[in-house]
Amino acid sequence: MRSLRFVAALCAALCVLAAAPALAALNVVTTLPDLAALTKAVGGDLVKVQSMALGTQDPHRVDAKPSLALALRNADLLVCVGLDLEVGWLPNLQTGSRNPRIQQGSPGFLNASQFVRLLEVPPTKVDRSEGDVHPGGNPHYLYDPRQGAAVARGIAERLAQLDSKNAATYRANAAKLTADLDAARVEWEKRLAGLKGAPVVAFHRTTAYLADWLGFDPIAFLEPKPGIPPNPSHVAGVLVLARQRKARMVLIESYYNDREAKMLANMIPAPLVILHGGTDFRAGETYLQHINEMVGNLEKGLNAGKGG
Amino acid sequence: MSSVPRRPHGALVAVSLSVLLSTATAAAQDLPPPSPDAGVPASDAPTAEPDAGPASDLPAGLTPEEMAEIEKAFGGNTQQGVPASTSAAPDATPGGGLPLSIPGATSGTNFLDMSFILDMAAAAFTSKEPLQRGAHDPSRNGFNLQQLELSIGSVVDPYFRFDANIVYSQFGVEIEEAYGTTLALPASLQVRAGQFLTRFGRLNATHPHAWDFVDQPFAMSRVFGGEGNRGLGVELSWLTPLPWYVEVTGSLTDATGEATARSFLSSSGDRVLSPLDLQATGVVKQFFPLSDDLSFMWGLSGATGPNPTGYRNRTDIFGTDLYLRYRPITEASNTLVSLQVEALYRRRQVPGDVLTDFNSYAQLAWRFSQRWATAARYELGTAAKGEDGQVAVDPLDPEWTKSRDRVSVNLTFWPTEFSRLRFQAARDNARWRDQADYSAFLALELVTGAHGAHAF
Repeated sequence: MRSLRFVAALCAALCVLAAAPALAALNVVTTLPDLAALTKAVGGDLVKVQSMALGTQDPHRVDAKPSLALALRNADLLVCVGLDLEVGWLPNLQTGSRNPRIQQGSPGFLNASQFVRLLEVPPTKVDRSEGDVHPGGNPHYLYDPRQGAAVARGIAERLAQLDSKNAATYRANAAKLTADLDAARVEWEKRLAGLKGAPVVAFHRTTAYLADWLGFDPIAFLEPKPGIPPNPSHVAGVLVLARQRKARMVLIESYYNDREAKMLANMIPAPLVILHGGTDFRAGETYLQHINEMVGNLEKGLNAGKGG
Repeated sequence: MSSVPRRPHGALVAVSLSVLLSTATAAAQDLPPPSPDAGVPASDAPTAEPDAGPASDLPAGLTPEEMAEIEKAFGGNTQQGVPASTSAAPDATPGGGLPLSIPGATSGTNFLDMSFILDMAAAAFTSKEPLQRGAHDPSRNGFNLQQLELSIGSVVDPYFRFDANIVYSQFGVEIEEAYGTTLALPASLQVRAGQFLTRFGRLNATHPHAWDFVDQPFAMSRVFGGEGNRGLGVELSWLTPLPWYVEVTGSLTDATGEATARSFLSSSGDRVLSPLDLQATGVVKQFFPLSDDLSFMWGLSGATGPNPTGYRNRTDIFGTDLYLRYRPITEASNTLVSLQVEALYRRRQVPGDVLTDFNSYAQLAWRFSQRWATAARYELGTAAKGEDGQVAVDPLDPEWTKSRDRVSVNLTFWPTEFSRLRFQAARDNARWRDQADYSAFLALELVTGAHGAHAF
């Protein structure tokens, strides 16, 4: 009965594998790298953090690779942006992970949008004639460090709930991150004071929270409607408006093709500013460094606009 | 398992299995990683293991003995994997309203995710009798309603989710799928029960919305039937604890149905007298993320069940599927290239003979911009041969005396994620016919309602 012996050996091997102790106290998986960076800042060495998507990926369109379900299988906590941003790829992975701890409604599932002062919540009934709308509000809140800090505090509370022994550490780390971001914000706002009221053209409606923070005025978007690629007549209209309003810069996230944005920036003329779609968590970048880099890019655009 | 297991081995397996299960349940205790008594063998010391059970440590100030006592009070039923409820009140939301106050604001807050998918096509065939056998294929000149699919999904409670696909044709309604999926079984196990498409191969479990072509490969309709292989039944799947993705699935389903179990009992109406009268399916899926941009999925499938040609005659189907997907994600790109290959080998016992045949397809799809893609597909099906290697009369497809191949190419335009236009042309070369047939389709798909989640 060779097959039986094989089955027995396989079972034994799997026991050994399954019994391997977990390395970190808490295993956290986040959908986006910004959330991963915030979690790492709050959890430090007490958590093992992994982001499902890279900052270079469009968060609306991530492949539900089975390897991501594998990461979720061992997760103690899943943190997502919510507001339907991940609706096209996360639910199947949650089910496929076979992990009861991270299902909707379990303490191991955290929708970070609950900590945010939401913007662009449609006041009336919407449908998709408006494009790929988010009926719960704009999900791109992590561009605003104030919202980032609020999310970090929310993550700390949930970590404290899951791992009460270290609750004080998580809360202290969140407080420290908030203080660091607040201190940095003073300087960032000083450097970008020139953006107040400045007319800006953007590619996608990712600018809501950024504009709310820095006070610039998003006058037009290259996408005619969210999720619908630019077309010549619409871009022509945007160009006319941008010249008329003297747009100071054209903003685009790094995960979009910047062909039309480049052309438009040349024709206005205005500087093209590329915003990194997310923290480069894999390379060890922190959320603060990511925002700092974004501020640097905006500053360059602002100064180039003055010179040009 | 053989019918006469030798005792020691049987015991060994039982022991191994019980150890495996106890390891899984040991996670309930989830001690911090053992430090002082690290010399204890792993199977004796309950260790925190990453695979099952609540992750939190023991509630503060509770010893393992006390925990054991509590478990004893519950009759030793540790209720592994039961999701803890969020004991705390909803977190205060600094500066934010509860997302629950907005219907549909966050995925899953409304009780039912519903979407309607309409597929229709205008078709033209050179043949008077096109060889289109797929239930959703355009099959006659002029307009074809391929399907109107109502897709419903929802979490039932912390233990189950519910999914259904109800298909309306112009003349009736059919339950294509309606099944429950467990959410909280221990040890990475999952059970589906109800009416479902079996996981055989890659294409079978999917719906037209996920297809790269207007019609399905003829391999599917020839071997399984126009609707694809499905049935009422139960399925157990296990995500193995190996370091790469290995999913093992076994299912037992009803073997009747001309359009769903064609090579098995089909429409013969035979009664089920033992489990041997059901279709048994086994699938192993493996996934290899070769790089950020390149993924590879490989599946091996087997299905066995009775066929109606005689007492205890059986049909076995073996299949393999390969899926290679290239999609750059480290820089802005809309490129997506996928190669998908499936091959099915079928073996049927018939009175006095064993028939074998081979059916396969290979398709290459290239999405070259956000809105445009093109794809090409080659299909091949051989005639059934007997044990002597000569072409035999196939009781299901008597006209299929020679091989058939078909080449299809198409171009797809997506105005948005929710609508799709697809033009497709094909040359169908069934060698038992005098000449090859040509066809052209223009298909439209509209999706309305909840945004569905895409499987890989």
